[in-house]
Amino acid sequence: MRALALAGLIALAFGLGSYYATGERTLYATLNLGAGALALAAAALLALRRLRFAAGSHSRRVLLRGLLGVAGALALAIALERAAAWSGWRSDLTFEQSFELAPATRKALAELPRELTATLFHDRFDPRARNTRLLLASLAEAGPVTVRERLLADAPEDVDRFGIAGSNTVVLTLGSRFETVERPLEATLYEALYRLRSRTHGVIGVLRGEGEGDVSSSAELGFSGLAAALATEGYELHSLVTSSLAEVPADIDVVLLLGPRRALLPESIAALERYLERGGRLVAMLEPGAQSGIEPLLARWGIEAPDGVIVDPAAGASSGGDPGVDPIAYNYEAHPLARGLNPDRMTFFAGARPLVPHNVGAGDSVRRVVLASPRSWVSPDLSLLSRRSGRLEPGTAPQDYHTIAAAGRYPRPGGEARIVVFGDSDFASNRYLRALYNLDLALNAVHWAVERESEITLRPKLRTPKQFPLPLENTLRTFHGVGLLVPELLLLAGGLVWLRRRTA
Amino acid sequence: MTALRALVRKELASLFGTPTAYLALTMVALVTALIFFDHLRLYNQILFVYASATMGGFATDSIPDYVNLWDSVFFPVMETLGLTLIGVVPLVTMRAFAEERARGTDELILTTHLTPGQIVLAKFGVAYLFVASMMAVSFLYPVMAIEQGGLGLEHLSAVYLGLVLHGIGLASIGLVCSAFTSSQLVAAISAWAIAFLLWDLSWASSFVGERVAEILDALSIQPRYSSFAGGVVSLANVIYFAGIALVSLAAARFSFDLRRVSG
Repeated sequence: MRALALAGLIALAFGLGSYYATGERTLYATLNLGAGALALAAAALLALRRLRFAAGSHSRRVLLRGLLGVAGALALAIALERAAAWSGWRSDLTFEQSFELAPATRKALAELPRELTATLFHDRFDPRARNTRLLLASLAEAGPVTVRERLLADAPEDVDRFGIAGSNTVVLTLGSRFETVERPLEATLYEALYRLRSRTHGVIGVLRGEGEGDVSSSAELGFSGLAAALATEGYELHSLVTSSLAEVPADIDVVLLLGPRRALLPESIAALERYLERGGRLVAMLEPGAQSGIEPLLARWGIEAPDGVIVDPAAGASSGGDPGVDPIAYNYEAHPLARGLNPDRMTFFAGARPLVPHNVGAGDSVRRVVLASPRSWVSPDLSLLSRRSGRLEPGTAPQDYHTIAAAGRYPRPGGEARIVVFGDSDFASNRYLRALYNLDLALNAVHWAVERESEITLRPKLRTPKQFPLPLENTLRTFHGVGLLVPELLLLAGGLVWLRRRTA
Repeated sequence: MTALRALVRKELASLFGTPTAYLALTMVALVTALIFFDHLRLYNQILFVYASATMGGFATDSIPDYVNLWDSVFFPVMETLGLTLIGVVPLVTMRAFAEERARGTDELILTTHLTPGQIVLAKFGVAYLFVASMMAVSFLYPVMAIEQGGLGLEHLSAVYLGLVLHGIGLASIGLVCSAFTSSQLVAAISAWAIAFLLWDLSWASSFVGERVAEILDALSIQPRYSSFAGGVVSLANVIYFAGIALVSLAAARFSFDLRRVSG
């Protein structure tokens, strides 16, 4: 009996080994698995037969009780596991809660005016459909969403009607409106949801004419991505040509200034100042080394922007400049604009000039929002942005939390003026908008400026920002300090135990 | 109670009084450190290559999806460690019951008024303690490396929990195998065979229908263990491993009845 069981186990082990080694169900593996299972079954039968003849009724009762105990434990384990699976309880401990819906998606679903239908169109054997199905199921758990599935081959009329280009496409239908999503990810579905709701939050006046960032340009340093994201979130964009700007129109809710390369005309700046005095709103993104002409205006409103470059050794070299000139910020002040951002949710700036906020008038509130690390300093040498000279040293420059973004509220007779200033505009360019939490910071700044604070949220990512470097130097030090030291000590202890046993 | 305490003390002394336990601890700690360091180094290198000026900085669009902490570090480390544990844990548990049975000292323990259930609980408890400490020393390095990167330890704690539960499941299987034989070799080989069989039953999917394949999938260790690597702690998966321990406890307890009857 024992020989049979041992032979069965060996045959099973070799059968499995063959399968794992080759990844194929070969004749050898099949024969071994079959023979192993048969041998084990025969050994079990023989054991039972032996017990039947060897044991008396008392022994049989003992055995039966023991077997019932095992069966009971098995039944209990299965029942508990099934109940737990049914409850669906789970905790997402990933860095970015990547298995949970983003707060913005949950909010958008909760605010749906009526039932939304999400239809997944796919080919029968498309493996991507599984993930999309799971995503749609989680949407249905969070809001009034009915999920349907159609095979593409069965729905030629829908393919034409919704303009479906291929398998794994989701069509969201809300009343008579629909949105077709060809790459169904949480981020793309969220944007489609937002478009379906078609809410208008305001009109943005985008200043143009002095080398500002171009909201219609889809080039890497263009801002078409920001424009699209703002449109998705319900803003209309109007161009304001600075050379002919005598007055900011009354229907403009917020003025957006995207890194001008030349100084704005004094008339334009005067128009902006009158607009702010009337309770207007301004979101200004400056650039180090570029005098926009707006700096004196900002200083009068409590946000000074001295020229220079923030050097933050906490950030590595990443866009052609010296290491540290492209700060990765992870320090945020408690401000509504930065709600949800924390040291784990970083923002990236490609060269930033420092800001110095201070209160200027009674009732005004000017605050820091985004800060570089406490090891950062300000260098007046703007050439750092374009050359690579190796490690930078602060010298006598004071190292402190230097401000990258600041925001101010100014109660005025015509209404409350609001200003948000960033020391960099590239962070919102097409190249960097989707990096880390840049998109959220840029959009939330606009929402805060127009007092749509309820819209401030963290949006689902097209890609999860889980690609952070771990300093190799530290990794190597820890490897030698702990990674190798611990096994060495353990082996030493094992050796001593062995020697002691030998001499005992 | 005194007898139980004495038994636990004896089990601990016999475990840590042999070089096998230290060798197992060394092996797991060393394999973890080497694999983790190697994957971390590779991850950093790839990331910095993609993040260099010519590749577009840290804009996520320029870095391929697969270059991330869990796909490049946690998943491969977990996968290798899972298989390493299958090799190591039965070597530690094979002695627990089989050695006593071979020497006949199990009869002595039964004369101490301890019930078979208490004996089984004591041996399982000590084995679980060993597995937890094995994982703790192995994880010192990954925890410190991740913590230095400022990435937060939540995901790593899910990985650690998965490894501990996997280790507990394997120790349970190893102890049951040890309880049914007096040969340490048979105990270790049968534990390896059962653990490998349960590790991934998806191989059997091509032999059976869809419904049975689903059941086999639910029985497999690997998919449940992988979900911890992904950072998700699911109650069903925790109970699955607890269930293996519960059934193993009952089966090991049954081995005493079987011994009593079959002699």
